[in-house]
Amino acid sequence: MIEFKDIERYYDAGAVKSYVLRYASARIGEGEFVSIMGPSGAGKSTLLHILGMLDEPTAGEYWFLGEPVHKFNERRRTELYQQYIGFVFQAYHLIDDLTVYENLETPLLYKKVPSAERKSRIADLLDRFNMVAKKDLFPSQLSGGQQQLVGVARALIGRPKLILADEPTGNLQSPQAREIMDIFRQLNRDEGVTIIQVTHSDTNARYGSRILHLLDGKVERDEKI
Amino acid sequence: MLRNYFTLAARHLLKNRTYATINILGLATGIAACLLIFRLVHYELSFDRFRANYDRIYRVVTNDHDPNEGDFYQAGIPIPAMDVMQTSVPQFEAFARTHSMWPTVTVPESPGSFMGHKYATNEEQEVGIFTEPDFFKIIQWEWLAGDPETALGEVNSVVLTEKMAKKCFGSWQLAMGKNLVLDNAVLVTVRGIIADPPANSDFQIHLVASYATLKANGALYFYFPDWGNTSSNCQAYALLREGSSVDEAKNLLAAVGQAEYKNNGSRVSRRHSLQPLADLHYDDRYHSHFGTHSTSKNRLGILSVIGLLVLAMACFNFINLATAQAAGRSREVGVRKSLGGSRGQLVAQFMGETVLIVALAVVLGGLMAMLLAPLLKYVSDVPDTQPFLTQPAVLGFMLLVTVFVSLLSGSYPALILSGFNPVKALKNNITTRTVGGFSLRKVLVVTQFVIAQGLIIGTLVTVSQMNFLRDMDLGFQPDLVYVIEGISPDSVSLPRYERFKRDLQQIPSVEAVSFGSDRPSSNNTWSSNFALGRGAQDAPFNVNLKFVDPDYLETYGLRLVAGRDLEPSDTIREMLVNETLLRKLGISNPEDALGKELRLGGRRTAPVVGVVADFQSSTARDEQRPYVFSSRKTSYYTAGIKIRPDDMSATTAKIAQIFEATFPEQVFDGGFLDEKIAAFYRDDERLSALCKGFAFLAILISCLGLYGLASLLAVQKTKEIGVRKVLGASVSSVIALLSKDFLLLVLLAAVVATPVAWWAMSRWLEEFVYRAPLSVWIFAGTVGISLLVALLTVGAQTWKAARVNPVKSLRSE
Repeated sequence: MIEFKDIERYYDAGAVKSYVLRYASARIGEGEFVSIMGPSGAGKSTLLHILGMLDEPTAGEYWFLGEPVHKFNERRRTELYQQYIGFVFQAYHLIDDLTVYENLETPLLYKKVPSAERKSRIADLLDRFNMVAKKDLFPSQLSGGQQQLVGVARALIGRPKLILADEPTGNLQSPQAREIMDIFRQLNRDEGVTIIQVTHSDTNARYGSRILHLLDGKVERDEKI
Repeated sequence: MLRNYFTLAARHLLKNRTYATINILGLATGIAACLLIFRLVHYELSFDRFRANYDRIYRVVTNDHDPNEGDFYQAGIPIPAMDVMQTSVPQFEAFARTHSMWPTVTVPESPGSFMGHKYATNEEQEVGIFTEPDFFKIIQWEWLAGDPETALGEVNSVVLTEKMAKKCFGSWQLAMGKNLVLDNAVLVTVRGIIADPPANSDFQIHLVASYATLKANGALYFYFPDWGNTSSNCQAYALLREGSSVDEAKNLLAAVGQAEYKNNGSRVSRRHSLQPLADLHYDDRYHSHFGTHSTSKNRLGILSVIGLLVLAMACFNFINLATAQAAGRSREVGVRKSLGGSRGQLVAQFMGETVLIVALAVVLGGLMAMLLAPLLKYVSDVPDTQPFLTQPAVLGFMLLVTVFVSLLSGSYPALILSGFNPVKALKNNITTRTVGGFSLRKVLVVTQFVIAQGLIIGTLVTVSQMNFLRDMDLGFQPDLVYVIEGISPDSVSLPRYERFKRDLQQIPSVEAVSFGSDRPSSNNTWSSNFALGRGAQDAPFNVNLKFVDPDYLETYGLRLVAGRDLEPSDTIREMLVNETLLRKLGISNPEDALGKELRLGGRRTAPVVGVVADFQSSTARDEQRPYVFSSRKTSYYTAGIKIRPDDMSATTAKIAQIFEATFPEQVFDGGFLDEKIAAFYRDDERLSALCKGFAFLAILISCLGLYGLASLLAVQKTKEIGVRKVLGASVSSVIALLSKDFLLLVLLAAVVATPVAWWAMSRWLEEFVYRAPLSVWIFAGTVGISLLVALLTVGAQTWKAARVNPVKSLRSE
């Protein structure tokens, strides 16, 4: 599903280039549940952002479902993204001015999904996550766990083939964290959704089938579980 | 999607109320100002545009070229020239001559009587003309009664407007076939009723008499059919055939009268030409149409630019505040992009917010403009009788403003916000600085203050010039002189002049009474060629004439610098000249002129007995002119009465009463001289008033923007302020820290505004021969005012920020 070769990403820090990723390569098949681990500054989040098409590599190739993403312009990347990818963030990143319902609706609006279908999809997800009663609340009225639940639901609403999660439980206490991870496992097993998560926690990594260990911008070790 | 954007925008506005209020108020103010100017400009540009055949209507004009004195433009045509034109220009589909009059109209008490109710025609609003039936083929008019073909066919027939007919007969339906007496002499019959001209027409004609009536009363109405007589009262209008060439018609006209004009032996070469109806209202070289005023396109252009500047300032506010806020919205942008929002969709969202704000502002601005519209009559000729907001042009303009302002103020913030890198935006790594708008915001604030300061300087300069004109030595005393104008020195009235004067002198508060052809300072000119010295050649310039009695100098306070006043006489026997005349002839000692023979127009000769000190004979825009004073009773159209300041209204009432008793067949037209002189500067006073209004607006809008920026800056610098206070900074040093940048921007604006405003205002002042100096204080004062206002605006915000307990502000980070 995903193949990236010699991905390189640097930032201009004055006169010198400061490399975050260099010669990072790997292949991820459909249906896998992959965790990316590594020390701070290893380039985990940057790699995830590049895979999620939120950022661009400065060099290297990125193939997604056989398409050369590195050659695409922003518009085509957005199309691809809208169709196949959902993102979950550590800090939830819900839109403060929107209710739970509207937060879930936003990706569908961007995908131009017709109104009736939007309603039924949102209703399904609210039902599934037991959040029907909270649909008119604003994010500030929810607990962290509930917010992240909305965040996951929002990532799922577009029925993605790939979910990218950047330390999805980093801000949560363990019972809530477990709930979120269980949902990921279920999605991966029952619905065949490919999941790539960045995490510091071994416990969370154990939910997956494979761990990519990053060090100094390279995939240093590829561990199968 | 749209509904979503809209709710989102509405919530965003509610959540940021201060920001929204500042934005909407600022924009609304700018839009209101712009709408009012639009109304004014649109009104002035609408003159006579509704006329059928607008493009084919022309006025025939006269262009003179004098090798010594340059070009002269006039609307008058010698009557014999009109006769030639009528038949010699095949391009004319219709041609009509007009002859203006401002008659006293009497509605006879009984048929055939010359006594009855009198009505004066107001010089500005109600013109009377003699003309030919073809006039109504050129200037098409709605007829309520009568036949345009035949109504003016006979001698002594008139056509009245509905308003005039109503004034005379109570109702226009009663007017047809009734008699009227014009100027106590000409009995005419009403043969037609036409609709009142709309306000935006330069044909404010309310009484039309047949041309045959003019010919039958030639002496009364100055009908002089000779080649040497050109009066702006005698004009000609033409309708060109469809598809005919204007240039060919102009060529034919240029040939008219060439032989006759050369025979006159004049230096002046004269060509007739055509002035399109489209220029009539705007070309102030010719003046003298039948409307209330002219407006130069230049002036309309300046106004439009001011309007656009004020609107632009309001848009700058919007951009400023929106980009300053952008940092706070970066996370939202990041999230939306990570949810699959494309750049276009984000641009649409932010533009949606802008459109909402702008739409609210346009509605509010429209309401403000509607409330302020009646004030327009103080600064322009726009009547306040017409509805404002419901006019299609105004509505269309509001729509245009909505679109234009949304694009202008929304696109930059929208492009900036939607262009954020989602990764950076999510990390909240975007600060006000990285938005890249900080320097732009500085530029916009500086621009706002340049405009505001420019307008303040404009205001101060116009006000100082107006004061200068008010206090200027005119060479005579305009205060407390009551002037009665338009007296007709006809054979009935002339014998009563002396009695009138005696009766007036009986009033205790009257100091002096004098008759003359004109007041010392007016727009009227009466000039002639002349020669000074026995048998001398004509001087290379014309001299202006005033015919006055011996009390004239005393009444108006004119001073003699040499010789003596005129002796009483009813005809030209002696002459006074002014200093300018002597200076132009190179005579330095006034005494040298005394006793010399002065020949006027090649005929009348009389000795110079005195020299009058120079006086301001028309507006301060013009040079002082050479003048000759002499006596000639038959030219006394004006009475001047110097009164004492006690109980002036009783005195003027008494004057009017004596006038009515002495000249029952004449209409009383009296007023104070200083007010008449002030009327010269009506346009300048209006400009000054407009400047004041817009300077105030500009300052207001700039301050709104500054206030918004300062409050945002205070929020963004909360942490820095906290740290500084922990390190021991005092409140005043924090205020200084926060205000310094803004004050520097205002100073920078002054550096730009001062030379530009200095240049523009010197250009304006150059129109005046007599002008107030451009004082340094005007510029220093402007900088002072803007610094003070900026300091007050920013100060309130920084004071609040500086007083926050540092523990609190540091915790919040």
